Amino acid sequence: MASLSSRPRKRRVSGVSQWELAWRRLKMNKAALAGLVIVGVIGVMALLDQLIALYPPNCNVGTTPNCPNPGPKPDVWAIGIPPSWSFPFGTNLAGQDVYSQIVYGARAAFLVGIGATAIALAIATLIGLVAGYFGGWVDNVLMRLTEVVLVLPFFLILLVFLRILFTLSPGASGGLLVIILVIGAFSWPGPARIIRGEVLRVREFEYVAASRQIGASGFRILFRHLFPNTLHIIIVLSTLQIAGSILTEAAVSFLGFGDPNSITWGRQLADASEAVKQAWWAGLAPGIFITLLVMGFNLLGNGLRDALDPRLRE
Amino acid sequence: MAETLLRVEGLRTYFYTWAGVVKAVDGVSLHVNKGETLGIVGESGSGKTVTALSIMRIVPAPGKIIEGKIEFQRKNLLAESDEEMRKLRGREIGYIFQDPTSTLDPVYTVGEQLSEVLVRHQNLDKKSAMDRAVELLRIVEIPDPEIRINQYPHQLSGGTKQRIAIARAICCSPSLLLADEPTTALDVTIQAQILETLKGLKDRFNMSMVLITHDMGIVAETCDRVVILYAGQVYETGTTEQVFENPKHPYTEALLTSVPHLALKRERLSVIQGNIPNLIEPPSGCRFHPRCKYAQQICIDKVPELEPMEEGHLAACHFARELKLKSPVTS
Amino acid sequence: MSLIKYLIRRSLYLIPVFLGITLLVFSIERLAGDPVQIATFGNTHITEDQRQRIRQYYGLDKPVYLQYLHWLSELLVLNLGDSFGGGSVSNLVGQGILATLELQLLGLFLSLVIAIPIGIYSAKRRYSVLDVTLSSSALVGTSIPISFMGIAFILIFGYYLNLFPSGGAQSTIQSQYLYGNVILDQLWHLTLPTLVYTFAILAPVVLLVRSSMLEVLRQDYILAARASGLGDRAILYKHALRNALIPIVTYVGLYFGGLLAGAPVTETVFNWPGVGALFVVKTNVLDFPVIQGVVVLITLMTLVANLVTDLTYAYIDPRIRID
Repeated sequence: MASLSSRPRKRRVSGVSQWELAWRRLKMNKAALAGLVIVGVIGVMALLDQLIALYPPNCNVGTTPNCPNPGPKPDVWAIGIPPSWSFPFGTNLAGQDVYSQIVYGARAAFLVGIGATAIALAIATLIGLVAGYFGGWVDNVLMRLTEVVLVLPFFLILLVFLRILFTLSPGASGGLLVIILVIGAFSWPGPARIIRGEVLRVREFEYVAASRQIGASGFRILFRHLFPNTLHIIIVLSTLQIAGSILTEAAVSFLGFGDPNSITWGRQLADASEAVKQAWWAGLAPGIFITLLVMGFNLLGNGLRDALDPRLRE
Repeated sequence: MAETLLRVEGLRTYFYTWAGVVKAVDGVSLHVNKGETLGIVGESGSGKTVTALSIMRIVPAPGKIIEGKIEFQRKNLLAESDEEMRKLRGREIGYIFQDPTSTLDPVYTVGEQLSEVLVRHQNLDKKSAMDRAVELLRIVEIPDPEIRINQYPHQLSGGTKQRIAIARAICCSPSLLLADEPTTALDVTIQAQILETLKGLKDRFNMSMVLITHDMGIVAETCDRVVILYAGQVYETGTTEQVFENPKHPYTEALLTSVPHLALKRERLSVIQGNIPNLIEPPSGCRFHPRCKYAQQICIDKVPELEPMEEGHLAACHFARELKLKSPVTS
Repeated sequence: MSLIKYLIRRSLYLIPVFLGITLLVFSIERLAGDPVQIATFGNTHITEDQRQRIRQYYGLDKPVYLQYLHWLSELLVLNLGDSFGGGSVSNLVGQGILATLELQLLGLFLSLVIAIPIGIYSAKRRYSVLDVTLSSSALVGTSIPISFMGIAFILIFGYYLNLFPSGGAQSTIQSQYLYGNVILDQLWHLTLPTLVYTFAILAPVVLLVRSSMLEVLRQDYILAARASGLGDRAILYKHALRNALIPIVTYVGLYFGGLLAGAPVTETVFNWPGVGALFVVKTNVLDFPVIQGVVVLITLMTLVANLVTDLTYAYIDPRIRID
């Protein structure tokens, strides 16, 4: 019997990479896409800040009528104006256009979120990989250290650091950097534990055992095999950590420990809260924008988790 | 003729995933006579488990029984109320799952898990349910039942856990036992013991059994009749002798020649080429055609009907009467 | 029996962790330099001689390791030393901690009581209109800065609707007490901060309970329970919930530590006389003895919370208890 010459079924499974599959899954997740859009729009806002702001940073639209930016003609007395066509989100009690300040604050939000997360996840990845791969006493020491840092009330320590900094050098310009560094330096324990757990799982895979047997060096295995296989978890943890870092900055600024030289949403919220009865809109905009961006990253993180971790998929 | 205990007709169970509708069971018909053991055989993904879950009406979401008829003890199960079904499950139909490690609740003791079923179905009080549970452990041949009864699943071996799962399935002496690959997750040495226990229990409690497996060797040893499933459809069915000695479907042939201890020495042990098809868009015509070495144009164009070959022996292949298929049992 | 052994083992294990943390906290404070120098930085009215006398008074002229040992030994008898602003740190912190715990525990309790049934419902009726509404509100809830929520609540319920006082734990004058009753007055003041707290904790717990329940509901032992003919209630509450509680307990335990550390924000928003607000005030003037006291106390409470978590965990999960 003649066998069939042309098999009708296409077989195109191996050509699609894991990442491409994940992207396809992500595209079908409406919530994740919404998160991506929110993060994207605010990201563009941060990049274009000078171009889309109506006034220069910290410009008092009432007392500085000749603001170099071509904007709508301000009233002379522009303190605490409710939202209007000239001032979409109103002006605050310092006479600043809330919309413009929000635009400038976007950059700080991304800086804090991404900066702190980069530091935290770099430490977490290193500790997680090393502890999970080497095991034994290395694992023991690193995990005890992780536990200690996890218990430390880092938010309180952050406040102390910042107060010391601003007391010793008032007007120091590195305030935002210190916030980023401290959030980063204390936020790694949670992610480190999760990455370690994943390494323990991946370590047992046959190809890792095989490369160990043919004598591949520890670090080669760590970075050639284990790191790529934990990357999906690192990505998910990153998005969630960004959200957390932005909230931390807002809390720090709210308590008056923020960087006085940076325009951040947290500080705008804090300033507005002192005069909330006179100009609630000055606090509404930063509050909503913090919520939106944090939610965007959270949605994205949840979506990425579903897309990248097929075990959680149905 | 033997009395029929369970009859499934034209069963379709689909899973509505966001990648598409997975037609896991697509028109399966089969029956189980009183006192007999029916083997359901197929590769993973052929719809064996979903068929069994459908009989119990416990197909997990997003799966749904679309159409068909399931008649058990002259009752149409698909028309029964949820409450009636709950009374039936565990009492009239027992179910044994593949992996005993994941089917016992890790946070309750063996005794708690057995007695809750007894309390539910037999109106026993907790104390007598516990006593009965100890007795059940003895029936399924677990040593030291008084100790085991107060232990948690993680303290027990795989074989012991599967025996406990069996005890739970037969605790109300059901008339039908659905055993879904009951030995697959276990060590080879324990597999045979568990099968022996199952056979003994079947006779002792006068049950009928549906044994789901991918292992033709187990079918040969245990089953009276067999149903071969492929891609959610029945491709061949008959008594074990008929199917083993005179297979009428190329897929059955492939299954038979891939079993090590059935194949004779001079026969090369074969592997079935290719993968089980995508059940969202199954192949046209005969679903086995992409993997079939006898495939012709008609196999792509036309769906083969399940046709009788001899008394009780049916096959769904366009060339069922023409092909001279090999069987390791006869050759 | 084994639970007690477990408790002892965990408690012993916490001792080195606690010592490590005290050392860390102490050195962080010293890392920046001489506390007196820092605290009086920029103060032109103070002479070097006076600074030296302050150092002597607080024992800050001794070698650092002696300072640490002294501080540690005093800590064991609950003496946290004297505040730079005068007064015993133990007294200051002791007064605040009750107010803090009142708010924290009440908020935690209420949110768990509300969140767990919501999470279960959401998991049970997954993708129903109510589930989508509840879980997306919860997602928004986890993303709102607690300060923003607090201010909004004060503005709406305190200022515009005038239903609740906008801050403090009690009216200052007796004639302002609600119905002239001090207990009612305190409850009246407690309402708004508790509400905000509850909402803040509620949201992440709802999401966690939901995802944890969904994870458990697709386990084979749930299917097996259904195959045994058990009723929906028994499956949901006896089998699914108990297993789902394992990650929830872990999370809530960890989260409680985070909440304590977050106390400064809520307590500042509501002018609540707890250790959080105290910490903010004292950190602003770099009153190091108080700072250290609060940090150590909150750490200690976090450790206790972790211990309670571990015990609950072991109670629920026999795999931890018996190994």
